[in-house]
Amino acid sequence: MALLKREEWQDFVRDVDWTLTYVDDEAVYPEWFSGTGKVPREAWLAWEEDYKVSYQEYVYTQKEKEASTYAVKAALSRSDTFDHLDEGWKSATKMHFGGVAQVEYTATLAELKMARFGLNGAWRNMATFGQLDELRHNALTTYFGHELVVKDPQYDWTQKTYTTNDWVPISLRTLFDGIMTTSNVVDCALQVPLAFETGFTNLQFVALSADALQSGDINFANMISSIQTDEARHSQQGVATLQILAEHDPTRAQWVIDKAFWGSARAFSALTGPAMDYYTPLEHRKQSYREFMEEWIVDQFVRTIEDYGLKKPWFWDEFMRGLDTWHHSLHMGLWFWRPTIWWRPKAGVSKDERDWLREKYPNWEQTYGDKWDVIIDNVNANNVEATLPATLPYLCSLCHLPCCNPTQSRDGSWRVRNKPLSYDGKTYHFCSNGCRQIWWKDRDNVNHETLVDRFLAGQIQPMDVGGLLNYMSMTPDVMGDDADYEAWTKDYVGRPATGLAVPAGAQA
Amino acid sequence: MSAEVMDAPPQLVPLNAIFSTDFVEILVPVTTANTMDEVAAAVADHVEGKRVRAQPFRKVVVHRGRKLPGEMTVAEAGFAPLDHVAVEYDLEVPA
Repeated sequence: MALLKREEWQDFVRDVDWTLTYVDDEAVYPEWFSGTGKVPREAWLAWEEDYKVSYQEYVYTQKEKEASTYAVKAALSRSDTFDHLDEGWKSATKMHFGGVAQVEYTATLAELKMARFGLNGAWRNMATFGQLDELRHNALTTYFGHELVVKDPQYDWTQKTYTTNDWVPISLRTLFDGIMTTSNVVDCALQVPLAFETGFTNLQFVALSADALQSGDINFANMISSIQTDEARHSQQGVATLQILAEHDPTRAQWVIDKAFWGSARAFSALTGPAMDYYTPLEHRKQSYREFMEEWIVDQFVRTIEDYGLKKPWFWDEFMRGLDTWHHSLHMGLWFWRPTIWWRPKAGVSKDERDWLREKYPNWEQTYGDKWDVIIDNVNANNVEATLPATLPYLCSLCHLPCCNPTQSRDGSWRVRNKPLSYDGKTYHFCSNGCRQIWWKDRDNVNHETLVDRFLAGQIQPMDVGGLLNYMSMTPDVMGDDADYEAWTKDYVGRPATGLAVPAGAQA
Repeated sequence: MSAEVMDAPPQLVPLNAIFSTDFVEILVPVTTANTMDEVAAAVADHVEGKRVRAQPFRKVVVHRGRKLPGEMTVAEAGFAPLDHVAVEYDLEVPA
């Protein structure tokens, strides 16, 4: 018997659906999970994606990817490549492993939700492959990171990070519980495959891969490139869903995409920005974080949403201005609060590195140079203690990152301006207008308390630095410290310095 | 200020604070009995000479756009928990 041609069987195999007789549609696809909203149920029959992968093809392709990724890993495990990697680059990988490995598992749950409650057979089919993808990413990332634990205990946070109460994973859980865990599948498809994967994972998996290769970390580049090939496929659920929602309920489509884009932009400014502009050795940097964002995110995102009749988000100007500040401020925050993180942040402000920062970010020196200079002078005065924290940064009630975004005054100076909101008898503080606006509109969905909230509520005992570190599961063997103080302070040794903190025990 | 407020034992008042040109808002706990000079010192302790170079001027607490006198207490100023304060150098008054 002659085999049927692909186009003769594809649609009816992939689009197989139930004809419900014993229960109604709402019982199988409840609104709170499936979220059709104003979209007529029959409109979802038009849901379509271009990959049209069969299970057999999926398995063959994935088998090849796995074999090649693990073959490279096996070959490199016999070399001493890792031992010669720059400590700053290793920090970029520790951030990635800890920040990503278990998020991939949360993404598995999101894909499973779409595989069950998606409103079209083709969608559910695509999401079934998507959940297998995410499970692979979770396993791959966990395994690659875990193998390095013998060389450095900080890699243990690959597996550990996401379930701790460290302030960084609390921030990540707030974002991903919002877009992956608690969303209905229509919102999930717009927030995860579209805003997060089509947009931002490109930044982490393609752009960071380029930096990895430049830094000589072939193993890491190999791992994340393999993952990205899956993202390109299953992220198609985003535009397929957008096409239908934008036609029937463009206001909802705009809002859902806008807030996921904003949340992702905040998270990546912490996760990717410092890795690109400070941790990657200067000679290995391909582009600045801002340049990567403009090339990989900004142009593509705007093109995509405009293709479907949507507009740039209301926060666009604030977001674009933030490309010059958000990640620089977060880098300084991560560095100053380094005992609370599981990598060794490299300050990255030697004279050559500052030249590069000034070239890429013309306002960098005016905004950050004065503060780094005081820190440098304290290190050179043998007063490292003055560069360590004794209180918490105030954390934004939406993104849970420190409130540290400066804006320029009319006189040219850069200042952090307070953005409060009083609601239900309590004062909340936000890092940005975007976070405040999204929190206000979405306030019934926000369910994580910031570390500051927990501290003030007495959930962290004793209420001191030791109690905080213990609450965050931070132990002395993994606690972050600068990778190499001398590397970025030696250029400034011997210069006159005034107005420094008086070392503890010394007379003022 | 009422007699009740004056007689009450000091209460903890956590503040959202920023010092001068620093890059981040921080959590600083004070009490209702602290004066503005003490609040300014508590905020400065985390930042001055550590991220912002110390200057030889008096430090002043700014709350809701008002510069508050150094001897005024937190209770008198009416600070609520989680209020925001800025601590600025008063460039016209030497320390």
